[in-house]
Amino acid sequence: MSVPSPTHCPYCALQCAMTLTPTVRPDVVDAASDAAPAPVTVAGRDFPTNRGGLCKKGWTSAELLRAPSRLGAPLVRGADGALHETGWDEALDLVAASVRRISAESGADAVGVFGGGGLTNEKAYLLGKFARLAIGTSRIDYNGRYCMSSAAAAGNRAFGVDRGLPFPLEDLDGASTILLLGTNVAETMPPFIGHLAGAQAAGGLIVVDPRRTATARLTEEGRGLHVQPAPGTDLALLLGLIHIVIAERLVDADYVATRTVGFEAVRRSVASWWPERVQSVTGVAALTLRRLARRLAGGGNTYILTGRGVEQHVDGTDTATAAINLALLLGLPGRQGSGYGTLTGQGNGQGGREHGQKCDQLPGYRKIVDPEARAHVARVWGVHPDTIPGPGVPAVELLQSLGRPGGVRALLVHGSNLVVSSPNVAAVREGLAALDLLVVCDFFLSETAALADVVLPITQWAEEEGTMTSLEGRVIRRRRAIAPPAGVRDELWILAELARRLGCVATFDTDPELVFEELRLASEGGIADYSGIDYQLLDSGAPAYWPYPRGSAGTPRLFADRFAHPDGLARLVAVSVREFARPKPGDGEVTLVTGRLLEHYQSGAQTRRVPELLDAQPAAFASMHPATAERLGIADGDPVELTNPRGTVHCVARLSPDIRPDAVFVPFHYGDEQAANLLTSDAVDPISAMPEFKTNVVRITRLVEAGVPA
Amino acid sequence: MSSTLKIVLVGYGPVGARFVEELLPAVRAGAISLTVLAGEDIEAYNRVLVAEYAVGNTDLDAMLVGDRHAAEQAGARVLLGVAATAIDRDTRTVTLSTGEELEYDRLVLATGSRANVPTLEGVERHRRDLSSLEKYAAQLVARDDALPDGITALRDLADAERVLQAVRERRRIIVLGAGVLGLELALAAAHAGAQVCVVHHGPHPMPRNLDRGGGQVLRAALRRTGITVIAHSRAEAVAFRTDDEGRRRFDMLVTADGKQLRGDLLVLSCGVSPRNELATLAGLRTAVGIVVHPSLQSWSDPNVYAIGDCAQVVERTDELVGQRVLPGAPSGLIGPGWRQAAWLAESLAAEATARAASTPAPPVERDSIVMLKAEHIDVVAVGEISADPWDDDALHPKRRVSQWADPEHLRYVKMVTEDGVLTGFVSVGMPRTAAELTLLFERRGELPADRSLLLRFDGPDYDPAADADAFAPATTVCWCNGVTVGRIEESAACGNTTVECVGRDTRAGTGCGGCKGRIAEVLARAAEADGTPSLTP
Repeated sequence: MSVPSPTHCPYCALQCAMTLTPTVRPDVVDAASDAAPAPVTVAGRDFPTNRGGLCKKGWTSAELLRAPSRLGAPLVRGADGALHETGWDEALDLVAASVRRISAESGADAVGVFGGGGLTNEKAYLLGKFARLAIGTSRIDYNGRYCMSSAAAAGNRAFGVDRGLPFPLEDLDGASTILLLGTNVAETMPPFIGHLAGAQAAGGLIVVDPRRTATARLTEEGRGLHVQPAPGTDLALLLGLIHIVIAERLVDADYVATRTVGFEAVRRSVASWWPERVQSVTGVAALTLRRLARRLAGGGNTYILTGRGVEQHVDGTDTATAAINLALLLGLPGRQGSGYGTLTGQGNGQGGREHGQKCDQLPGYRKIVDPEARAHVARVWGVHPDTIPGPGVPAVELLQSLGRPGGVRALLVHGSNLVVSSPNVAAVREGLAALDLLVVCDFFLSETAALADVVLPITQWAEEEGTMTSLEGRVIRRRRAIAPPAGVRDELWILAELARRLGCVATFDTDPELVFEELRLASEGGIADYSGIDYQLLDSGAPAYWPYPRGSAGTPRLFADRFAHPDGLARLVAVSVREFARPKPGDGEVTLVTGRLLEHYQSGAQTRRVPELLDAQPAAFASMHPATAERLGIADGDPVELTNPRGTVHCVARLSPDIRPDAVFVPFHYGDEQAANLLTSDAVDPISAMPEFKTNVVRITRLVEAGVPA
Repeated sequence: MSSTLKIVLVGYGPVGARFVEELLPAVRAGAISLTVLAGEDIEAYNRVLVAEYAVGNTDLDAMLVGDRHAAEQAGARVLLGVAATAIDRDTRTVTLSTGEELEYDRLVLATGSRANVPTLEGVERHRRDLSSLEKYAAQLVARDDALPDGITALRDLADAERVLQAVRERRRIIVLGAGVLGLELALAAAHAGAQVCVVHHGPHPMPRNLDRGGGQVLRAALRRTGITVIAHSRAEAVAFRTDDEGRRRFDMLVTADGKQLRGDLLVLSCGVSPRNELATLAGLRTAVGIVVHPSLQSWSDPNVYAIGDCAQVVERTDELVGQRVLPGAPSGLIGPGWRQAAWLAESLAAEATARAASTPAPPVERDSIVMLKAEHIDVVAVGEISADPWDDDALHPKRRVSQWADPEHLRYVKMVTEDGVLTGFVSVGMPRTAAELTLLFERRGELPADRSLLLRFDGPDYDPAADADAFAPATTVCWCNGVTVGRIEESAACGNTTVECVGRDTRAGTGCGGCKGRIAEVLARAAEADGTPSLTP
């Protein structure tokens, strides 16, 4: 009999609710069959975030469960250089022995762990514990560094806490004005846009994006305003808006006086950003800036939301800080019906950044350098605090150390496709090639898995239990609908087995609920306190927003009375534009903006294996303005080459008036010679260590045919 | 480096403040000891906003740019209200208005500029040549000329206060001069309710920055805002009256052709001149401003630098040394001044910390963009814009000029390119076009071959996709699921004639649901088309 399982989508942070109903008996699994239909049907499920709707990715998600290319047994690279199927014991013994040897030779920090924002809370938590206790390494970080790190750093600095949306998503329904900075929700999390309807109806949806995206189009027909600044000028734009708000006395003075500190410095820092100067930097007319500032300050329910477009910069933390400053000056955060938030991208991008995958962090969003935090976590783990290593290094630095003297020699990768999603892919490929051991856990032979020495096949979302924390800081349940294919294993089991082989005596449970119980204790008293949440509560359907200390009812809305700094006040932090932060395009060069498409999720390792999605967007393309194309002698559909000193990408040109003539857009979902990140710089934000994904300079040339220059 | 580098900065305007800010890390590190002679008894503020302040649009607080406390915390000495009165270059000392003497290793002059007082019968003005300076140093150095009651320049906060009072009382204000500053004030004051008359001797406003077409459109736009514009009029004299309190104050401006223009306040907006007098007295080479190398070092003394409005950057050649008049002049704009300040601070910090000179080459300024800061009239101009579309200029075979004029709607654009690259433009009344052109000019971008593309930004309802057919088969209806009009029509043709059926078949409308209305429209059209014989195959 088929029992429907209420769960959530495997992809983005909106975590749309869905119901999976097995189509075959879940215990009969034939992974070998090529023509196997999806073993479950997918239906949208009513939930406050998606209200029963799903996007194309969610609807087709089950097709991956029995995809013919799914890995069914561990792979080990043989003497012939090829990957060969092997048994689990052999594979795990090999990994453990190699880790032991390298650790003994070069110290535990020669072994690195790279996690992902798609892992469940349980996996993320156990991965951090595994790195610190079983391996004893400080070298752990994750791909959320490319995603939420700038917003997280800015949020922590301003509010003392980083919860993407400090309010339930539904609150947006009542907004009259919503400012979206650098986010294309209509493609990245489509069901989200239902929550923009109120602002649209009030003519108050404002979208800031160098591209006229699907989201920007939602402002058409009098429903709002699309502002199209030159790439990389977001910070100047925000300083200009703050300037106008202060100069025109639109500041919520009572709020600023009673709930914040730092106003004087911010006021000084924006005095030199008058609208006309901002116009000359951003290309946005002074008139538009004034209208925008006045609308934001015009009363009513107003929200300011940021996305990766403004955060994935070498000054991403400062840019997010400027957005927060604007919100604070207008008195938005903590006021019912208004606020500031950042839109988390990856499925568990929120929970994944709270429980110890970050190099400087312990569970509960604790700082690894804080003696009290170390003592607390050490108690839960049953170890002496001194056995927990100190802070490691952030993702880009970790990858830069691969194979280098004193760097990482062995790397364990979970939930990440490094050679597609990391900046400066060519350097990452070199680093991976220089390793003594690369172990990748994945469902498929992703571009990164294909380079590994050992590939461990793992369960997919419909085959496992666990919890995720959505973009609104709500902890939700992932539920198992069917059994996994015989040859694959859950990552909790893999970590436990490896820990045992490494001689670690700490507990590594394989039951997600037991792991969660431990996570509760470890997070207790921390910033992201989950101690009052258990599976029973979640299974009852009760909304659980953290912080949720034991005995409380959780926190749907933060900041109503106070911010999370000890004095309860928010910090206004003066930030400034660094003149030489990024290279400016020279003659004949344009600025590369990378981003996502509706049909694909992150590195595309999953969505490129769904026929319907791949058919719709089969390959990378370079979207450019017809005027730019004309200048370069490029016609729609021409094969083109994009180059800069870091690399070369081959794809086809797509002409569109929706992009600024000084920019080119390439989606980053594709691998090999189509990997947009071959062109991105691994220079990072000094605070968050976020790389620069949005303003890399490239040269475009037409190819006569694929591979042949004109 | 065994000792610290002693730097004295004269002047604490926005350029001086930027210099201080950039220098603080080296000051904090103890490599540099910095003393700032602020002159005015106030923190550094952004002069660009003085006109806004003068009409009550902004507060002083919002104009402050310098952070004296941060500077002092870092170890700098900031002397508000203290001016430099003399420089002794042999002993490398500066004499202060307090009588104190300060030694320096490097002296940085950021003395800025003062408003010009034109030759007007009835208004006293002082020459600041060397012999006058030597005779009357105490009256002339670091001091501006006092103007009679009812006459003011618009340079500092005291000037702005005078204007603000007149604006508040809705007085009649006469602005002499139609440069950017004068017009900004005129527009802001008129908007704030004052009666404003602009008098100038050129054929049209902003003659230095605009061509005839742009100037004419601007003049029409000014008049439409209620400002009286009197062109071709050279001011000759002012007459005074005695007010109720027995004070002699401005009464009328008299022009060379005999016009008598009565008003309550005369605002002189006749350009600015660098404050050179300290340099002149110290025997430093001056022309329009203090003459410095591109490295901002004085031609006369390697230990003295000048930045901002008082600095005239000239590459020194043997030929030029003997000439009295030198090419160029200070730009009078803030952007170049800030770049100079940042560059010089970096270079001096490198020297003080004996760091390898990693500093980039000194900033080279192109023409600066002039923007009229006003809310209801948008004027932006830069570069050489006198060329005409029909010119046949043998010297500039690659120069092209495109022009758009719509005087009735107060719109005008001219774009001048050399080999496709924008070298100058004028834009009046087209803010979004101007914003794009500004950016293209700043980045030396190439213009699209179809220049009219740029004009469309200011169309009444600019929408790059407006010509796209909302019912074209490739048009996306459901964004959540990427379903096009064509796909829905196909589904409809297969018998799915309701929104729900189409949703089950194509997933259109099963995401956020926002497109259900559009799906219904597509279905309605499809149903209609069904009964009608099609004209196309």
